Amino acid sequence: MRYLIKFTKENEIKYVGHLDLMRTIQRMMKRSGLPIIYSQGFNPHLNLSLAQPLAVGVYSGGDYFDAPLEGENDELEVKEALNRVAPPGIKILEVSKIKEEEHKKVFKSMAAIDAASYRIKLRYKDVSLLEREMESLLEKKDWTILKKSKSGEKEVDIKPMVRNIDFRIVENLLIVEAVVSCGSKENLSPELLAQFIKTNTSNCDEDAFIDIKRNEMYGDVDGKLIPLFRYVKII
Amino acid sequence: MNRISDDILSKVEKPARYTGGEFNSYIKDKEKIQIRYAFCFPDVYEVGMSHLGMKILYYTLNKREDTYCERVFAPWPDMEKLMRENNIPLYALESKDPLDQFDFLGFTLQYEMSYTNILNMLDMAGLQVRASKRSEEDPIVVFGGPCAYNPEPLYDIADMFVIGEGEEVNNEILDLYKEVKAEGKGKTEFLRKVCSIQGVYVPSLYDVEYNEDGTIKRFYPKENGIPEKITKRIIKNFNDVDYPDKFIVPYNEIIHDRVVVETFRGCTRGCRFCQAGMIYRPVREKCTAKIIENTDKLLKSTGYEEVSLTSLSICDYSDIQNLVFAMVEKYEKDKIGVSLPSLRVDSFSVDLIKQIQKVRKTGLTFAPEAGTQRMRDIINKGVTEENLMESARSAFSSGWSTIKLYFMIGLPYETEEDIAGIADLGQKVVNEYFNVPKDVRKKGLRVNLSTAIFVPKPFTPFQWEPQIRMEDVNAKIRVLRSSIKSKAISYSWHETPVSYLEAVIARGDRKVCDLIVKAFEKGAKFDGWTEYFNFDIWMEALKESGVDGDFYAHRKREYDEILPWDFIDIGVNKAYLIEENEKAKKAIVTPDCRLGCTNCGVNINLKGKCFEGAVSN
Repeated sequence: MRYLIKFTKENEIKYVGHLDLMRTIQRMMKRSGLPIIYSQGFNPHLNLSLAQPLAVGVYSGGDYFDAPLEGENDELEVKEALNRVAPPGIKILEVSKIKEEEHKKVFKSMAAIDAASYRIKLRYKDVSLLEREMESLLEKKDWTILKKSKSGEKEVDIKPMVRNIDFRIVENLLIVEAVVSCGSKENLSPELLAQFIKTNTSNCDEDAFIDIKRNEMYGDVDGKLIPLFRYVKII
Repeated sequence: MNRISDDILSKVEKPARYTGGEFNSYIKDKEKIQIRYAFCFPDVYEVGMSHLGMKILYYTLNKREDTYCERVFAPWPDMEKLMRENNIPLYALESKDPLDQFDFLGFTLQYEMSYTNILNMLDMAGLQVRASKRSEEDPIVVFGGPCAYNPEPLYDIADMFVIGEGEEVNNEILDLYKEVKAEGKGKTEFLRKVCSIQGVYVPSLYDVEYNEDGTIKRFYPKENGIPEKITKRIIKNFNDVDYPDKFIVPYNEIIHDRVVVETFRGCTRGCRFCQAGMIYRPVREKCTAKIIENTDKLLKSTGYEEVSLTSLSICDYSDIQNLVFAMVEKYEKDKIGVSLPSLRVDSFSVDLIKQIQKVRKTGLTFAPEAGTQRMRDIINKGVTEENLMESARSAFSSGWSTIKLYFMIGLPYETEEDIAGIADLGQKVVNEYFNVPKDVRKKGLRVNLSTAIFVPKPFTPFQWEPQIRMEDVNAKIRVLRSSIKSKAISYSWHETPVSYLEAVIARGDRKVCDLIVKAFEKGAKFDGWTEYFNFDIWMEALKESGVDGDFYAHRKREYDEILPWDFIDIGVNKAYLIEENEKAKKAIVTPDCRLGCTNCGVNINLKGKCFEGAVSN
C-alpha cells in the first residue's frame, strides 16, 4: 500500500537541493525500520516520489512524498516511526493511506497537485510608495513578465495562474501570501511571482535574499482547493 | 554565536556546507560542559566529512560528558571572501560559535598541501598563525594525523602535536587539561605538563642547532624533565577500541557517502616507498563478529545504502573471504551494497570483487606501481607480472573491459627501461584481453595507465633519497608516451610542481615553517586543488623566506645525518630502514612479514603484539 506523507523542509535546510533531499528522505525511511518496498532491477532503490520540487533556498511547511510500504500500517505509527529518525530539518506532519485499488494507475502525489500556497518576503530600501504600487498592481489585468527557461525567453501572463493573493507591509518587508497554480498542468514558480513584484515596484533591495516558504499543496475537488493529505482521503 | 545571513549564504556555492544541523550531529548544552574542542579539517566540507579519523575522534571526544567536540572545515574561497567582507570569524558548525571561544583547536594533517589552509583558518578565526605570537588566553592548537610524524615544518604553528593513534591519548590530554584548569593555571603550565604524556610533542620546549651546511647539529629539550624521544601511540586492544555507532549523515552528498568500517590497522607488505606501511605498524585486526556488529549499528543509525570495508590493504584481512560473503548475504535483502577500496593485484581480489559487484562492472584498478620486475623488487612491491596477467585474464573473462593501472615515476634507482616497462606492461594487459575468447570477453577494451611523481617520505627506507627533478620527470613522461603503441591504451599524468613542494615540506625542518607562513601571507590556499594552486606564489615565498627548496627535495642524505624527525620513535628501528634501502639498491625483496618476522622492531619497541586478533597469518 502507498502512503502520502506530508513533511516540512525547515528554514535551516532550505539550501538542500532536490536530489539531496530525496536521498535524505530515503535514508530516513531506511532508518525507520518500516517495511520498505524496493524497486526491481539492476539498481534497486526505494520507490518514492516527491511532489513538485522546491528550488534551492526555498523552504516548506507543507511538502509531500509518497512511498509504498509492505502491508497495512497504522498512519499514526508510520508518522511516529519517521519522526523518531527524521533529521533536524524535516518533520513529518501527516500520513495518509492512498487507496490504490480505486485507481487504475497508482496514485502519485505529483499528478494530483493543482495549486500551492506560498509566503514571499521581499526586502525594500524604502516602503513609502509600496502600498499604493501594490494596490494598483493587483488591479492590473495583465501580468506579463519575461520568463527565462532552457529553451529561451518568452513573455507570459502569470495573472491567470494566481488564484489568490494578499499582501502586508511590516517595517521594510513586503509580505505576500499567494495561492498559485502548481503541478504538471500549469505551474507558476514563486520565484517568478517574486520577480514580477520586484520589477513592478520601486526601491526593492536588489541584493537582499528573497525569503520564500511553501505553506501547503492542494488538490482540486469541484473547484475547491483541498490540502493534499485530505484530498487523497476524499477521492 | 554567528548568524550567517541568507544574503550571504544565497550567494555562495553549496551553502549547506556552512549550516550544520545534520542528522546524528551532537547538540550539547554549553553550560554543562567543561571543555570545548573544535575538530578542524583543513579542506572543504565534502572532503573533511568523508574522513574516517574525524568521524572516530568526533565520536570518542563527544562520548565524554565534560567535552563538546564540534566540526570546522575550510570555507571555500567564495564563502571566505564574504565572511571576511562581513567580519564573520570562522565558526564551528554545531554551535556556530567563533573559534576563539574554544579550549582546543585540533587540526588533522592529512596531506602537506593542506597546510596553508590551516594557517588561513587560524587567521579567519582572528588568531595569530604563529604559536609564539598567540596569547595565553588563545585556544590550544593541536595537530595530529599522518603528516604529524614530521611535525617540524609546523613547529611554530601548533602548540602541541599528537603522534600516533588518537583514541586513548586524547582522553589523557583532556583529563590533564581539566586538572590544570581547576588549579587556575593556563596554557603555558598545561603545555609544560602535557609533554610527559606518551605521544605528545610540544615544539616550544625544544631547540635546534644547525651545521654550516644547513643540516641539523643538535635537537634537544630546553629544560630537564622533558622527554628527548617522542614515542608514537598505538591502540593495543584494537578489537575493543571505541568505534562510532553513529555517523553524521550530511544533507548534501560527500565524497565517501557511506558507512565505513575499519577492519585492521597496519600493513605487512613493507613497500619501501610507503609511509603508511611503516608508521601504522604493528598490524592489529578486529574480529569478523566485531566488524559485523559495527556495521549493523552504523547501517541502522544512518540509513546508508552502502558499506565499505577499509584498511591499508584490504585483501590481507585474515578472514576477508568469510567476512565479505557473510556481509553480502546478510545485507542483500536490505539492498545494501558492500564495497572494498584500495585493491592489490592478485586474482584472488578479482574473485572477491566478482562476488560483490554482481551487476555493474565498472573499471578495475590495479597498482603495480612500477613497470619492470627489477623496479618492483627495488620498491618491494611483492607483485609479479604473472600475478597481474592472471588478474587481468580473470577480470576480462568475468566481464570487465576497463582496467586502470597506477604507477609511480621518479622512484630511486629507476632507469629508462623501467619507464618503457610501464608501456610494455600495458601492452601485455592488452594482449591478455585478446587471448580471452571473443564470445567471453566484453567489447570496448580500455587500459588506462596513470603515473604520479614519487615523493620520498619520512620513516620510509627511501627517506634519504633525492626526489627526481622536474626536467627529468618531463623526459620520462616523453619516453613513456612514445613507448605506447596500442590505441586501447590511454595515458594520463601530471607533471605538476605540487610534488616538488610536497617533497620540500614532507622532509622539511623548522626553517620550512617560514616558507609556509610566507606562502600563506602571499595568498596560498587550497594548494591541493588544481584551480587554486599557484606555483608562482610558492616560488616567490621560497625566495623571500630564504628557504632552499632543493636542499629538502633533491639532496641525498647520509645515514649518519640527524633527520628533522629522528626524535620521533615509530617503533620501527632506523637500522631496519637503512637495511631496507640497502636491499633496494640490490633489488632484493623482503617477504611479507606474515611469512616470517623481518625484525623491524615494532613489536619489541612498542611492546605490542603483531597480528593481534588475526585468525591466521
